[in-house]
Amino acid sequence: MNPRDLELLSAYLDGQLNPSDSARLEVRLAADESLHSVLSDLRSTRGLLRQLPFRRAPRNFTLTPQMARLKPPAPRTVPVFRFATALAAFLFVISIAINGLVSFSAPNLASAPFPAAMGAGAPQSVPQESALATLAMLATQSPALPPAADNLTETPAPRAMSAALMDTETPTPEAESKSNAPQVQNSQPVNNQTSSPVPLDLEILFGILAFGFGLTAWILPHANESNLRKKWNKK
Amino acid sequence: MDEPALIHSAQGGDLEAFNTLVLHYQDALFNTALRILGDEDLAADATQNAFLSAFKNVTSYRGGSFKAWLMRTVTNACYDELRRRKRHPTTPLEPEDQDGDEMDSPRWLADPNLTPDQQAEADELEHAIQHCLDHLPDEFRSVVVLADIQGLDYAEVATALHAPLGTIKSRLARARLRLRECLQGFVELLPAAFRLQEERS
Repeated sequence: MNPRDLELLSAYLDGQLNPSDSARLEVRLAADESLHSVLSDLRSTRGLLRQLPFRRAPRNFTLTPQMARLKPPAPRTVPVFRFATALAAFLFVISIAINGLVSFSAPNLASAPFPAAMGAGAPQSVPQESALATLAMLATQSPALPPAADNLTETPAPRAMSAALMDTETPTPEAESKSNAPQVQNSQPVNNQTSSPVPLDLEILFGILAFGFGLTAWILPHANESNLRKKWNKK
Repeated sequence: MDEPALIHSAQGGDLEAFNTLVLHYQDALFNTALRILGDEDLAADATQNAFLSAFKNVTSYRGGSFKAWLMRTVTNACYDELRRRKRHPTTPLEPEDQDGDEMDSPRWLADPNLTPDQQAEADELEHAIQHCLDHLPDEFRSVVVLADIQGLDYAEVATALHAPLGTIKSRLARARLRLRECLQGFVELLPAAFRLQEERS
């Protein structure tokens, strides 16, 4: 028996031959006794295999969560909270970066022309922490300086502030010398607030939101898993 | 049983839905493992491993015959066990009765509808067939078990064994012929029905 005929007979037995192959084989089967004998052998063998008793499973093979090491699916809201966390954190970092850049760049711009503008009359020990504060101070010392200061800072805050300072301070030299140092110190906090592009309140809000969303995104899956495991254990 | 809905739920991590499928298919998978491995305990282990593997990989099921897909997991589990057995050969233990004597056929496997003589005859036939199955090459055995014992069609067998259809046809034909040759050595042990068929052939 060649392998090709064996395959044909086996497929014929299972009804897997196409009609033309099947018809050709039937012609051969009618003429060839050995082919017919092999077909009968295959048929009886298949019949014997089908007679094998079907065994029932000796036990149930259902899985427990422990067996499956199942991790319950996270609630659908978790991705939303994760995205919100990322967004709030991004805004928080960006707002800090913007405010930081502004506070760094302002002194750098002001530091070069500052000594020349001060001239000999300005004390060397004047703190240069805030160029805006210094410019405000200069505005009170010399009315000719504000245009220069405007060119340097390009922000309207110093002008408004210097105007405010001019309103409150007396323009006499005696008063200037007395109130010089306190002016610098008092004007710094005002400058810090007014020169920040992103308000401090907003910065804090971003930080709180990032923390809150992050905490929620972390707690939700754990709480859900705990609840599901309790449910499974009850069953 | 709404099989597609259960599969969909199982793919979403629903263990209860998957366990409903387990209860439906566990006999078929256990029988397949039993005929491939020829040992009940090993077959039970392979079946359990197959279902565990199936649950972990149920998302990879992309339609078609779910039974064939499950059969692939159980045949893989059986092949793993056969490879392990070849590396670490052991002597199989027969189940024991209350007196500690070995039982050829455990009571829970016996068919209550048969007389003792018929049961003995069925046991002999089963032993003879299982013996011949055990002596087939692994790849032949899995094909003949899935096609002739489990009743899967060629396409399902091809899916289950991840082999081309032509290979399945060829292996099945050769496996049937080898089984026939093997069973002819058990003519005296075989029941009358088989001897009559043999005489007719």
